[in-house]
Amino acid sequence: MTPAITVRNPGLLSLIVDLGRTGFGAVGVPSSSALDRYACQALYCLLGFPAAPVLEVMGPRFALQFNTDIVCAITGAKVKAFLDDAPLRPWASFQAKKGSLLRVKEITEGFRYYIGFAGKIKAETVMGSCTTNLECRFGGLNGAPLRSGDILQLEESRERETNVIPLNLIPPMNSPHILRITEGPEADSFTADSRRRFWEKGSHELFTVSTKLNRTGIRLEGAPLAFKPEAPKSIVSEGIVPGTVQIPGDGLPIIMLHERTIGGYARVAVVARADQDRLAHLKANDLVCFEKISLEEGESLWKEKQQLIAKLQSTDS
Amino acid sequence: MIIQRYAENALRIIFGTKIDMEVHERVRRTFFLLNSLHRPDIIDIIPSFCSCMVIYEDNLTSYDTLTALLNERLADLSAVDMPPPQLHEIPVHYGGDHGPDLSFVAKHSQLSVAEVIEIHGAEIYTVFTVGFTPGFPYLGTLDERIASPRLETPRTRIPAGSVGIAQRQTGIYPFESPAGWQIIGRTDVRLFDTEKPPYSLMRIGDKVRFIEEH
Repeated sequence: MTPAITVRNPGLLSLIVDLGRTGFGAVGVPSSSALDRYACQALYCLLGFPAAPVLEVMGPRFALQFNTDIVCAITGAKVKAFLDDAPLRPWASFQAKKGSLLRVKEITEGFRYYIGFAGKIKAETVMGSCTTNLECRFGGLNGAPLRSGDILQLEESRERETNVIPLNLIPPMNSPHILRITEGPEADSFTADSRRRFWEKGSHELFTVSTKLNRTGIRLEGAPLAFKPEAPKSIVSEGIVPGTVQIPGDGLPIIMLHERTIGGYARVAVVARADQDRLAHLKANDLVCFEKISLEEGESLWKEKQQLIAKLQSTDS
Repeated sequence: MIIQRYAENALRIIFGTKIDMEVHERVRRTFFLLNSLHRPDIIDIIPSFCSCMVIYEDNLTSYDTLTALLNERLADLSAVDMPPPQLHEIPVHYGGDHGPDLSFVAKHSQLSVAEVIEIHGAEIYTVFTVGFTPGFPYLGTLDERIASPRLETPRTRIPAGSVGIAQRQTGIYPFESPAGWQIIGRTDVRLFDTEKPPYSLMRIGDKVRFIEEH
């Protein structure tokens, strides 16, 4: 019999994700990547299955039952999780026995957490990736969020030593979130004063994450940015990259994630790649402020982040 | 042609600022030329109305290296090997439950419903770009007489195949999805097949004609 796991409670929303589908921008297919790619890579290192489908979970009360002996790991948001009654360490793998129950009771830092196994979850591969495109309902498990009673089949499962990610490799995920950004193509559409308040280091205009947030984008509330009188409120639709901060007519920022290839609003800024994983952990009422950096600073921060990923890989015994 | 950097690992090749057939033709040629290079340092190319956006692998190249290459390769766009544009005939059920905004569009245009349908079907449209959701074609140019504003409050869910209009554009929603355009009809044609390459029925430069189905 194929080893399997039964979802007992999907929490608020759980999806099968991976690092995304790439190369199909010309036909409008977004990457739908795991939002915290670093946490996803940490799972791969703990479990030895690079690029495998994993679970991205929001909210407490998630529970699953193991119908097989398997090594499992949780990364991303810090959670109070238990295997039967034994508490589990964050960002670590553990041995689950057949019949045991994994429960997540509480999230103590961050928003989305990631669960993976020393085996490949059987999922629908679409255009080279198993990740779920929730809006269009493809990939993952028939494109749908996990439900109670869903059974996840594990292929190629194998034994593995358990391991932990060292504390110094676990990033902070709590509010307030300071996001470093580079200037976007339409930054000039905004008055000098509102640009300065928006992104100048030391100005620290605080925004609040609104309740309008999903895997497509995060709307912020706060002081609206002012368009210059002559600047158009929308643009002729054009390609966007993940992390793009768009400003619609009401002047309030929307941070775009991994679900759109083109956009029609003014792109004031782009969240630095090194800070994009943090976007997975923005939740309603969290505080956000922006800090402008140069592209060169962005590049060197990204190099540092890649070195962290290399260190994760060296913990892979 | 202007090349501008966008974020840490992308650039925009800009051919104009307005929706225009000549600009579109240069975008299309650039897209097919870049696509044919199969370069490992180019991760994705997103052509749209006025530009081609290139996302690159910055461990393999740099903005300066890629810009130099693009300036050289794109200097002459006259002899790009491209697939001929395909003409897609799309049968549409207009109005009723299929097109809840058809009567609004008629009222807004001060025309009869029959006239709106006739004008919408008279044009051969060009696919300027594909996006928003997978396979969604942005079609232009819609006759000014039936141009209509976007909905003030977008609908959260409309059925797959819905045909919408907004300003001087029309388009088809390949998936059940949110929608901010005026929905005037619906087609049974499948616009996106997740299982079969090239996945999207339409690509940049294709032509579309709508045919009323009774």
